[in-house]
Amino acid sequence: MNMGRILEDVIRKNSANTDRITAENTIGYVVAENSTGVVAESSFDNTSAQAIVKHMHGVLVAAAQSMVRDLDPPNKLCYMRVATRKFEYLIAPEEVFTITVLQ
Amino acid sequence: MSQEVEETLKRIQSHKGVVGTIVVNNEGIPVKSTLDNTTTVQYAGLMNQLADKARSVVRDLDPSNDLTFLRVRSKKHEIMVAPDKDFILIVIQNPTD
Repeated sequence: MNMGRILEDVIRKNSANTDRITAENTIGYVVAENSTGVVAESSFDNTSAQAIVKHMHGVLVAAAQSMVRDLDPPNKLCYMRVATRKFEYLIAPEEVFTITVLQ
Repeated sequence: MSQEVEETLKRIQSHKGVVGTIVVNNEGIPVKSTLDNTTTVQYAGLMNQLADKARSVVRDLDPSNDLTFLRVRSKKHEIMVAPDKDFILIVIQNPTD
């Protein structure tokens, strides 16, 4: 399956949301493929985007997922917000892609 | 001080949908909880680990930044963690209630 095509389709279908996310007081966003960790779409430069994917998606989302399942095996992680002193990371791990927005 | 803590915890606990609150000290030991012992220990251990991980991830991405709050939404619950210097506060809420 062509990942780029799937993503474009999703973006088109949710254009209202995408516009809101990209226009309104957000710092930036990263969309990465789950299986490979490849950055599919981002407003950041490649290095920053890859750093976010590596740390947030690779380490934290994985840890949160296993924590949720440890507590209750049929339960599933849906969404995560990480507030920091400077900004907030909003992370949505979906089936194929993980979306992170900084605000 | 302890009066204030009691009142804050009571206020949080009285919110609609709140299942339980746990206070964990910096050694990872739960010092206050409204849940039963087993659940408390389980949540305290795992959330402490996750908060530590979140903090190190945030610092890895930007060494001048620091974690202030963490929310984990799952299909059944939402867990909120407020990490502080000496204690971390964990609140578990059931959003469907």
